[in-house]
Amino acid sequence: MVYSFLALAVSLCFFQVLRGGSYAALSTQNKIRVIRTSSPRGEITDAHGAPLAVSVRTFDIVGYPPDLRKAGALEEVAALLRRQGIPATAQGLGESIQKQYWAPYRPVTVASNLTLGQVATLVSDPSFPQFLFPTPVFRRVYPAGPLAAHVVGYVGEVTREEMESRSAENYRAGDLIGKTGIELVHEATLRGIAAEEAVEVDALGRRRKRLSMTPPVKGKDLRLTLDLGAQREAQQLLGERKGVILAMDVRDGAIKVLYSAPSYDPNPLTWGVSSSEWAKLLKDPDRPMMNRAISGAYPPGSTFKPVPALAALVEKVVTPGTTVYCPGQFKLGNRVFRCWKKSGHGTVSLVTALKDSCDVYFYQVGLWLGADRLLEWSQKMGVGQLTGIDLPGESRGNLAGKEWKKRRFSESWFQGDTVNYSIGQGFLLMTPLQLARVYAAFANGGKLVIPHLSDEEHPAGIDLHLPPEALGWVRKGMEEVVRSGTGRASGVYGVSVTGKTGTAQNPHGEDHAWFVGYAPSDKPRYVAVALVEGGGHGSSAAAPLVGQILAYLVGVER
Amino acid sequence: MTFREEKRDILRLVFVLSDRKLLFAAAGLFLVGLFSIFSASLGMEKHAGVFVVRQAIWGIVAFAAYTAVLKIGYVRLLELAYRLYGIALLLLFSVLILGHVSRGAQSWIGLAGLRLQPSELTKVALALLLAKHLCRHPVEGLKDLAGVLALAGTSLILVLAQPDLGSAIVLSVMIFTALYAAGTPVRYLWSLAGMALLTLPVAWHFLKEYQKLRLMVFLNPYIDPLGAGYNVIQSRIAVGSGRLLGKGFMMGTQSKLGFLPEPHTDFIFSVFAEEFGFLGSVALLVLFCFLLWRIIAAGVKARDLRGKILVASIAGWIWFQAVEGMAMSMGIAPVTGLPLPFLSYGGSSLLALGMALGLTQSVFLENPKPDDDL
Repeated sequence: MVYSFLALAVSLCFFQVLRGGSYAALSTQNKIRVIRTSSPRGEITDAHGAPLAVSVRTFDIVGYPPDLRKAGALEEVAALLRRQGIPATAQGLGESIQKQYWAPYRPVTVASNLTLGQVATLVSDPSFPQFLFPTPVFRRVYPAGPLAAHVVGYVGEVTREEMESRSAENYRAGDLIGKTGIELVHEATLRGIAAEEAVEVDALGRRRKRLSMTPPVKGKDLRLTLDLGAQREAQQLLGERKGVILAMDVRDGAIKVLYSAPSYDPNPLTWGVSSSEWAKLLKDPDRPMMNRAISGAYPPGSTFKPVPALAALVEKVVTPGTTVYCPGQFKLGNRVFRCWKKSGHGTVSLVTALKDSCDVYFYQVGLWLGADRLLEWSQKMGVGQLTGIDLPGESRGNLAGKEWKKRRFSESWFQGDTVNYSIGQGFLLMTPLQLARVYAAFANGGKLVIPHLSDEEHPAGIDLHLPPEALGWVRKGMEEVVRSGTGRASGVYGVSVTGKTGTAQNPHGEDHAWFVGYAPSDKPRYVAVALVEGGGHGSSAAAPLVGQILAYLVGVER
Repeated sequence: MTFREEKRDILRLVFVLSDRKLLFAAAGLFLVGLFSIFSASLGMEKHAGVFVVRQAIWGIVAFAAYTAVLKIGYVRLLELAYRLYGIALLLLFSVLILGHVSRGAQSWIGLAGLRLQPSELTKVALALLLAKHLCRHPVEGLKDLAGVLALAGTSLILVLAQPDLGSAIVLSVMIFTALYAAGTPVRYLWSLAGMALLTLPVAWHFLKEYQKLRLMVFLNPYIDPLGAGYNVIQSRIAVGSGRLLGKGFMMGTQSKLGFLPEPHTDFIFSVFAEEFGFLGSVALLVLFCFLLWRIIAAGVKARDLRGKILVASIAGWIWFQAVEGMAMSMGIAPVTGLPLPFLSYGGSSLLALGMALGLTQSVFLENPKPDDDL
């Protein structure tokens, strides 16, 4: 103990008495400055190299707090800026500097977003003070604007909370960070790390020596699987209507189209909008900021029917030859469940029931299967689970099983619930992406793919081990839907489509129209989903959209 | 006993019967701390004065805890040693689950609006536990050693998991000094020290990046002059620029201009040394030595082995934090984030120190006095 205190006294003597002079000199002119040169963020392109997010260079004028706090400095800077046509007052600058202040050696910005021309005239002004420095700053531009906003997302200045939660990643005030979309999910890839040079300066602010230097790291470019041309096609197809058009490669889950309408323009968000504009965007009743393709949970309606059909075949509850008589309604105890066709479909089997979307057939099949197997199969097909797409804000939908019903309504499961569930109604909710994934599994022979947007990711799917024969019958039923059933409108665009219509009950207004299909029928390549909110019938409102987007994608392929 | 008698009794206990030199040394350190915190908080834009008031209130709370512990007496507290240690472990465990993350470590819990650091209170509980356990089961064989290490090591591991490397080292020092005072065979002590050295490379892998950086920066602050090394460089400039006589109270430029990080907590000694120079710093060293001497004297004279062990682990704790806190300010020891005892701003630390001094005084009261008939 005694030695430890003696050692302390000796070192105190060393630092304070022997070397005290040099430290005192260092402290009186503590002139460490950090010069930060930002580095561009990686560019985001579509599958063919079309730019979706690029970085453009602008200039900021920065200075250091100890210099700017000297008497008269702010007035001098404000006068200089005003001479060059940049509005500034000494008081305004003072407040802005106060807000940005972090440490004496960290620069603060006095003017931003200047062009090269503006900087050139400013610097050549004879009274440009030595304590100001022009520094290049990269800003984000989204050339595709609203077209790809729900995919690409946008960046903004890092917030204090983000800096604290990512303290190890060395963000500084003013840095850009992905706020949503690909910009957020692939932040680590895209982010460029600014160069930081620590220098010692003399009393006039001139650099004397370099203390350290961290080199800049340019962000990596990212190519997406998205096809901007098809995306534009989807935008035109939906027009003013609210809804989703989504298309994906059935083999590996590469997303080709993901358009959610209405959309928003990410450019003003990145450059900074006023809080009232931001509030307006968030409160818009049409919810343009919501990515309906992955965050919108809707009742799948009849597009769900292939799932009980497949389950019934695999579980050997029905054979392709099993028939059910549809008189237009179905009696369960003293409740009556109606078929959408009041006059009834007569005698139907699996293929004809799918073709005409007969409700009574699926009511009966659902009861034969029983709630447990029905729920088990929908869970197997990914209902109620995240698909794992590389986008933030995905919804799980709602499997709406027995435990859920008990929790939510303190009620047990009734046979009527099974009946409703079989035709995709009731409490069952799915996102358009989840449905696309189910149909991709029908198309690719039973593999539940993991949807993705980054071209560099090749996640392996989950093999569901579906018997090819059962799968064949369900596909045949859905081929008939397009050939002669409710989905004929999707098959007239020069490519053979297999799919299913759906009309989801909407408690708030007109029904939502669905169509999910894949093409070409014999050698499936792409699956597409169209959802038109309040669009009415799937056969007329959604089927043509899927037909056209699939025709576009397969056409590009050729 | 009437209330008045009881009050007189407590006052007599605190100001007459117990070791007044020890009390005054601690109070002196606390006052130096108050002045330094005031000076340090002048550099902060919003908080001038607030920290001093809060620290003064915590000082009163700590003094109340000191008096209460003194009145209860260490013998009765030792009876509760296992239970108190159990509570400390529970608190440490809950901090891992509900804790508040501050500077990368999860070490705070909110309690009725206050933020408490259970690792500080654990030090008191551990001192009591070691005293009780080592007296009951003196270390005669490897089995006894393993037993006490398992028991005391639990808190150490929970503190490490926060991760609070500094406090974990303090707990290890306490265990070591307690074992020494309990008369553990020297060969065990040597092998423990050897083992500790051997585990260093293993421990390195469990450290978080910022901790590794802090340790590497200690070896060479200039590898990261703007990040972790910045603190060390600036703190050394602050201490060194104090020279022989210091820049004068409230005249330190390093702390005022924001060059010194955490000036009111971890780097409080730098603030003091910058303003009071070599002479002031040596005076502070002497004051610390005096305090430790009084603590150790209470232990040496104790007839009760439990008292000896208790005081030894408390002395080990205060000694380590004092030396580390000052050495770190000069950049001759790694930055651990430990408070400088009695000086650094922080309620939990003061409260724990108050209780520890209360225990020490209580041992002192049981000691034979020169005029005792033996």
